[in-house]
Amino acid sequence: MIGYVLSRLARAAITLLVTVTLVFIFIRFSGDPAAALAPPDAPQEVIEQYRRALGLDQPLWAQYTGYLGRILQGDFGYSIHSGRPALQVFLDRLPATLYLGGTALLIALVLGLSLGAIAALNRGKPIDRAVMGFSVFAFAMPNFLFGLGMILIGSLAFQVYLGGQGAGVLAPALTLGLASMGSYARFTRSSLLETINKPFMLAAEARGIPYRRRLIRHALPNASIPLVTLVGLSVGSLIAGSVVTEQVFAWPGVGQLLVRSVATRDIATVQFLVLAIAATMITANLIVDLLYLVLDPRIRVR
Amino acid sequence: MRTTRRTLLASAAAIGTASAFRPLAALAQDARPDLVIAVDNLWETMDPVIGISTSGGRVHTNIFDTLVRRNRWEDPDGTELVPWLATSWERTSPTVWTFQLREGVKFHDGHVMDAEDVAFSISEQRLWGDEPDAPRGTRYVAGIVRVEAVGPLTVEVETERPDPSIPYRMVTPIGFVLPKHYYEEVGKDAFGQNPMGTGPYKLVSFDPSTELRAEAFDDYWNGPVPASSLTFRIVPEFSTRYAGLAAGEFDVIVNIPSDQIEQVRNTPGVRVMEKSIENYPMFAFNTLETEELPNNPLTDANLRKAMVSAIDREGIAAALWDGATFVPAPFNFPEYGDYYDEGRKARYGFDPERARELLAQSDYDGEELIWHIVRGFYPNYEVAAEFMVEQWRDIGVNVRIRIVDNFSLAYQRPFHLLNMSMSSEFSGDPYRPLWLDWGPNSSRATAAHKTWKPTERFLELGERFAAAQEFEERKAAYLDLVEEWENVTPGMYLWRNVVSYGVREDLDWDPGNDSVTVFDRLYMG
Repeated sequence: MIGYVLSRLARAAITLLVTVTLVFIFIRFSGDPAAALAPPDAPQEVIEQYRRALGLDQPLWAQYTGYLGRILQGDFGYSIHSGRPALQVFLDRLPATLYLGGTALLIALVLGLSLGAIAALNRGKPIDRAVMGFSVFAFAMPNFLFGLGMILIGSLAFQVYLGGQGAGVLAPALTLGLASMGSYARFTRSSLLETINKPFMLAAEARGIPYRRRLIRHALPNASIPLVTLVGLSVGSLIAGSVVTEQVFAWPGVGQLLVRSVATRDIATVQFLVLAIAATMITANLIVDLLYLVLDPRIRVR
Repeated sequence: MRTTRRTLLASAAAIGTASAFRPLAALAQDARPDLVIAVDNLWETMDPVIGISTSGGRVHTNIFDTLVRRNRWEDPDGTELVPWLATSWERTSPTVWTFQLREGVKFHDGHVMDAEDVAFSISEQRLWGDEPDAPRGTRYVAGIVRVEAVGPLTVEVETERPDPSIPYRMVTPIGFVLPKHYYEEVGKDAFGQNPMGTGPYKLVSFDPSTELRAEAFDDYWNGPVPASSLTFRIVPEFSTRYAGLAAGEFDVIVNIPSDQIEQVRNTPGVRVMEKSIENYPMFAFNTLETEELPNNPLTDANLRKAMVSAIDREGIAAALWDGATFVPAPFNFPEYGDYYDEGRKARYGFDPERARELLAQSDYDGEELIWHIVRGFYPNYEVAAEFMVEQWRDIGVNVRIRIVDNFSLAYQRPFHLLNMSMSSEFSGDPYRPLWLDWGPNSSRATAAHKTWKPTERFLELGERFAAAQEFEERKAAYLDLVEEWENVTPGMYLWRNVVSYGVREDLDWDPGNDSVTVFDRLYMG
C-alpha cells in the first residue's frame, strides 16, 4: 500500500515538472513577449528595456534554472502590468471562481444524482426516456451558447441583465454545471442499474431489508465508485473549467484572468496560473486515487 | 501658436458660466446619474503614461487633466488647442517654451497644484532619462533636455532643437499632471493602483480585474461635474455588453463588432455612435532584399505601384464601413488643419488599366507574395484583405494571406506584405506620420522587421521639413516629401480607423472623433 501511495506521489511530481517546463517553453516560442508587451509601433529601445526587465536577455537555460529555483522558494514572479505578485493576482480572483465552480458542482451533483436515480428506478418508462433525453441535451449543449442565449433572452425579453456578480451566481452556475449534470445523471443511472441487479441486492431483499434501506445503504455506496472518479475530475478542473462561462458572464474569476494574461503576454501570471491549474488537477487525481483505497478494499491488498 | 483670442475668450466664458451655475448644480446634485460604462478591458495600471492604451485612455482624462487640451466638444476633430491646466504658453527663446499654470487647481486630496507637480510629471526620471520609470512615453518626449519649475506657477521646457510641437505634445499622455507629493510617497506601482489627479472624478476603487469606480470631485476647477459617479466595468464578451445595455444596466458600451452595428442600432432605447479616429490601418511592402527573401520581386517599385493601383479602396471602405470612415490620400489627414487639402488625391488611385501597364513594366512573374496579418487587431482588416487579394488576382498578382496571433509572429520573416497602422498624433503638422514613422530612425527603417530604406531624396527632403520653422516653407517640404514617398510607394493606407459606442438613448454625450472618453460638462449635456 505504501508503494502504491509513493508511486502516485512520484507521478504527481513528474507531471508538475513537465507542465512547468512546457509552459516555460511555449510562452517563449509563441512570439517575443517583450514585443507583445510594448505597443506595436514602439521603438526598438523600448522593446529592449522590456526584455531586460523580464530577464529575456539572458540565455534560455539561465532563465529556466532561475525560474525553477524561484518556484521552489515560493517566488512566482510579478505581473508585468500591475507590478503585483502573480500569486496575489491569482488569490484575488480565486474566491469568485471557487464560488461559481462550487455552486455549479453542487447544482450538477444534486440534480445529476437525483435525475439519474429517478431514471434508474423508472427504467424503460417515459420518465426515464425524458430524463436521459434531457441529460444528452445538457451534455451536448456548448456552454457559451447556452449562457449567451440565457443572457440575451433575459435582457431582450425581460429587461433583466444576468451578467456580472450583481445578478447572482445562479445563471452562470447553471450554465457551467449543465454539462456535468448531464454526465452525472447518465453515470448514476447506469451504475445504479448495474448494482441493483447484482446478486447481493437480491440477498438483501431475501433477508427482508426494507426497500429504502436497501437502496440507500447497499446500492448507493456501491454505485458511487465510478462517480467519485467523475467528481474528482470536476473538482480538478474547478479553476480552469470556467474560462468560457466567466468570459460570457463577465464573472471576474481566474478564467478571465487567464484569457487576459495570455492575450497580454503577462508571463509570470500565465506561468503561475498554468501551474496552479495543473497542481489542482494533479491533487484532485491524487485524492481520488487515495480515496479508492478507502472505497475499494481490493486495492489495499495490491 | 494656435491659441487664438477666440478660443481663449470662449474657454474663459465657459468657465465663468460654470461658476455662475454652481449653486444650481449643487441643488440638483441628487439628479446626477451614476454612469456605468461597459468596457472590454481595463489596463492594469492607471498611471497615465505607464498605462498608455486604448482601455486606459477611456479612464485617464476623467481622473487627470492635461496641461493643454483639444477642443472636441465643438469640433469632433479637435484641431484647436485650448488652455487647460496651463493658461498660456509662449516661446521665450528658440529652444525654450514657458508655460503659465492655472491658479488654485486642486488635486483630489485638496493639495493645490503648482509648477513642481508639472516639472515632476514631465521629469527626466519619470519620462526621458536613461531607463525612465515610464518608458512608454519615450516617443512623446523626444528632444526634451530640461524641464524646470522657474516660479510657483511657471514651467520651462527646453528642447535640443527649436521645436514648435511642444504645446501640442502637452495634449498627449505626457501632458497629464500628477501630484508629486503623493506619487513620491506611494511609488509608481501603488500610484497605478490608486491614481490621483486634478480631474472631474476622484477614484473610489480600482480592481484591474473587475472595475474602476470614481465619484464626482466637487472641488473640480472646471465644474460642475455632470455625473454623480462613473463605473468602468469589464465585460469581455460583446453580446454580454449588448445585453446589459439593452436591459438598462449599462449607460455606455464600447467596441461593437462592425457586423453587429445594425442590430444594436435597431434596439429600442439605444443609440450607436461610430467615430473615425486618428489612426490609419495600412500595409507595408517589404521593399528589401534579405537573406530570407533573396529574390524579392517587391524591390521593384513598378510592381508596388501596380498593386496599389489595382485596389478599389473607396469601394472596399464603403462596403465595409457604410460611410463611417474614409480613405485618405497618403498623409492627407484632416486633423492637420492647414496641411489638409480636401482636393488632394492619391497619386496611385484605383485604375486597373494603369495597374496592368505598371505590372507589365515590372519583372514580376507570378510568384506568391505572403501577407502577414495579426488576427482581429484592426477591425475589418481581414475582410478587406480578402477583397484585395481578389483584385490583385484580377491583374495577375498572386498574394496569400497568412493570419498570425500576434505582432512578434507577424514580424518573423519571410513576408512580402505586413499589416500595421500609423497613428497621426496631434503635433500641429504631419511630422510624426511622415518623418518619425518613415524616416531614418523609424522602426520601418531600423527594426528587425524593417521594410524599407529611405531614399537619398527622402532623407534630404525630410531634413528640410524638420528644419523648416515657417508654415509655408514647411508645407512645401511636406508636399515634396509626400511626393517622394508615393514615388517609392513603400506601403498603402486603407482607411481611417473606426471606434464604436452604444449609448443609452437619453444620455447626451458625444466623445468626438476619439477613443478617449471624457464625462465632464463639456462632453456631456
